[in-house]
Order: sequence, then structure tokens, then C-alpha cells
Amino acid sequence: MKKYFRLWWIYTKAAAQLSLESRLGAVFFLVGKFLRFLLMFYFLYILLNQTKSLQNYTFWQVIFFYATFSLIDGIPQFLLREVYRFRRHVMSGYFDYVLLQPQKTLFKSLFAGSDVLDIPLLIFSFGLLIYSAFQIGPVNLTGVILYILLFINSLVIALSFHIFVLGLGILTTEVDNSIMLFRDITRMGQMPITIYQYPISFIITFIIPVGIMMTFPVQAMLGLLAPYLVVLSFGFGLIFIFLSYTFWKYALLRYQSVSS
Amino acid sequence: MEKYWVVIRNTWNEMTTYRLSFVMWRIRVFLQLLTVYFIWASVMPTDSTLFGYSRELMLTYVLGTQLINSIVFSSRTQEIAENINSGDLSIFLLKPLGYFKYWFARDLSDKTMNLAFSVVELVIFFLILSPPLFVQTNMMLLSLFVFSIFLAVLLNFVIGCLMSMIGFWSSEVWAPRFVFYVIISFFTGGLFPLDILPKPLFNFLELLPFTYLQFFPLKIYLGQVGVADIFKGLMISGVWIGILYTGLYVVWNKGLTKFSAAGR
Repeated sequence: MKKYFRLWWIYTKAAAQLSLESRLGAVFFLVGKFLRFLLMFYFLYILLNQTKSLQNYTFWQVIFFYATFSLIDGIPQFLLREVYRFRRHVMSGYFDYVLLQPQKTLFKSLFAGSDVLDIPLLIFSFGLLIYSAFQIGPVNLTGVILYILLFINSLVIALSFHIFVLGLGILTTEVDNSIMLFRDITRMGQMPITIYQYPISFIITFIIPVGIMMTFPVQAMLGLLAPYLVVLSFGFGLIFIFLSYTFWKYALLRYQSVSS
Repeated sequence: MEKYWVVIRNTWNEMTTYRLSFVMWRIRVFLQLLTVYFIWASVMPTDSTLFGYSRELMLTYVLGTQLINSIVFSSRTQEIAENINSGDLSIFLLKPLGYFKYWFARDLSDKTMNLAFSVVELVIFFLILSPPLFVQTNMMLLSLFVFSIFLAVLLNFVIGCLMSMIGFWSSEVWAPRFVFYVIISFFTGGLFPLDILPKPLFNFLELLPFTYLQFFPLKIYLGQVGVADIFKGLMISGVWIGILYTGLYVVWNKGLTKFSAAGR
């Protein structure tokens, strides 16, 4: 474990140097990310200033949903950025070299390119999350604990998706579209999924678990989530990580090294 | 003219070769529409108005953005920057075709394909969710709507080309485009009609070109702009096309003197 943390640190430092190679580019990316976040915030402010609520959620509750989404969306982007380069590695034959290295191939394929440019927005989102939590009003300790556990569960589901995409990348070299599709689907969780009409709400809760990832943690904190849905969420997390890891191993066995 | 028709056909072939990529792209665009649609569907009252829009008008606006998006924003101009950076521009400079006409032809091809998919998506959307829609029947407004879209296409093309000219001076073309895309996706009215913004901000935005890419054509369609304001809007749009086209001409010529075909 310690070895892998050290490896991650070395990879991250190297990736940071690459990201900051073009300072102007880095500044533009940071500005773009913040601007997108703040403009959405401003839109929600204008909207809820007029409507006062969105599906019975107050402004600060909606912002709490939005900040939760930003973190659950942003943390995998920060940690798992290497997945976005996986196709190139398979196509160029570089993946053969990865397979020969004395480290877990999955670790390298997931964590070797953390994007430091995501950190400022993550910190900002976390600040907004805490601030909006205080604005919501009194929340009990059970709610907070459930929120943290379900938040971690969401990250596990996001990790599962990324592992699944890697497996898909080996079998079909299709990575870029799959990962962007995943991000667009999860983006539907920017708002509480109760805004979506049936059957879309059902699909994005129980088939593609956007609701479980983005909405359930907040609902649990607000005391609005039925206990059986909490259990179901953890069940989904476990099943997803198991299935994706099994799929990864299946794909790895079928890697043909065609590009090398 | 025939050679540009070949470019259009080739671009179509390119897109149909990488079918999965294109279909995935359309799914992604459709998912974005779903979020915006349901945000508005969940807040719009059925028996009164919000921000001066009835439920019918607002949902028509949101669905209209999908259509306009496919016509106005489908573009290949971002590839110009890659062309400059890779040095491939030198090949084009030797070919007997107008460089910008070539890219406009590629744009047209992209637009028709996206438009075709967009129409099918909206039909499916309508069949499943049956949203209340406002149908404009005034032929004059419809003609002006089509004309404003035509101007928006030109405007977006010139803006896209100008953004790609950065390639002459820097290899960092994607980052500024990302910022620009963030600004455009907010201030063109893709997420909401711009007139729900505070009045001073909206008045300022009316002077910028972004308003005329999406918001303005849709307002004409909804019949919410008076004739005088329509002509004022078309005029501003035309002036921006003139200014930006002149800018493009100057920057292009300056850029060509800097171009070293590095990479070739």
C-alpha cells in the first residue's frame, strides 16, 4: 500500500510538471473550470431567487446537491485522469510496456496521471459544500455519517465505471466516447434526480446509478432517503466494483498486443 | 462549386465511417438537453408565467435550442488550429481551393448530419414525453427566424475561424477554446433565455455577438420580439459579422507571414 502511495506521488509530480509546462494553458483551463462552475451557480441563483424552490428543495439545498455533484464528478477526474490516455496507450503499443512493469497494471492505468489542475476547483467545491451545509440548517449526526459513507460509495461506483471503461478499451479501443458518455450521464445528477420524469428517473437511478451516486448521499443527509435505499446503494457499489474488476481481468486475458 | 460539393460529400463519408463516435456524440448532446429540459419542466408553472414565459413558450425555447445548436454550433473550425500547428496548412495553401470555403463546406456537411439526427431525436422526445409546444404560424416571423439562423451560422463560422488563428502564435489552442466554449454555452442562451438575467446585464449582452447565435433566433420564432427590434438585432448581427470577418482577414494575413509549416 505504502509502495503504491509513493508511486502515485511520483506519477502525480511528473503529471503536474507536464500540466504546468504551458503555464498559459494551465491558467486558461483553471479559468474555464471556475467559470463553468460559477456561471452554473449564478444560473441557479437567478432561477431559485424567482421560484424559491426546485422540487421542494431550497436554494442552499440545491447548492449542496450541486457541490456534492462537483466533488463526486471532480475527484475521479483528478485521480483517474490516466484513463483518458488509455486508448493511446493501447493503440501505440505502450500498454505492452506497462504490462511488463513491476506494478499492478490496473493501478498504473488508473492512477498514473492525476490532474493537479482539478485541485483548486475541488477545494472550492468543498468550501461551498461546507458553507451550504451550514446554511441548510440543523442536520443530525446520523445524516452526516450516512452522507460520508454514501459519498465514498459514489466514488467506488465512479471507480468501477472507470475500470469498466479500461476493460472496454482493451477489447474495443473505445475509451474516449465511453468516458465522456459516462461524464455526461453523471452530469444529469447536477440537480436532484427527482426533477426527471419516469421512466428516465428510474433508469438513472437503478440502471445507470446516477441517482445513487449524486442524489442519495444528500437525501440521506437531509433524512429523506428510505433505509432500504441506503442498503441498496451499498449493494450497488459492491456489485459494480466486483463486476468491473471481473470484466477488467476478462479483458486483460484477451489483450492481443496488436499495436506492438 | 463542384469541388466544395465533393468536400461536403467526403465529410459525410468521414462521419459515417466513424459512426459510433458520431452516435455517441449525439447521445451526449441529447443527455445535456434532458437535464436542461427537466430543470425547466420542474419549475415552470402550468397556469401562470415565470420570467415572462408560459410553460409552453419556455419548453419550446429549450427544445428549440437543441435544433439551433445542431445548425449553428456544429462546426469543424477547431480543426483549423490543428491544421496550422501540424503544418498541414501548407498542403492546403498549394491546393486550388479557397481555404475558408473548404472549411465552410465541411461545416455545412457537419451541420446537415447533426440537424438530421437532431430532428429525429426531437421527434422521439416528443413522442415519449409529449411536451407542450408553441408552433409559430406567422410566415414573416418564420422567414426572419430562418434568416437570423443564417446570420448566426456565418457569425459562428467567423468566430470559430478567429479562435483557431491562435494556432499561428501558440500551440496552446485547446485551452483558450475551452474557456470560450464555457462562455458561449452560457451567454448564447443555451441553458436559459438571456432575458431572465438582470436588465443591465441583458442590455450589455445584446451588444455582444453571442446573443445572436441562439437566443435571438429563438425569440423571433416565439414571436416575443417586435419588428423594429428584430431589424435592430439583425443589424447588430450583420455588423458583428463584418467586424469579425475583417478581423479574421487581418489576422489570417498576419498569421501567414508567421507561418513556418513547423511539423511538416
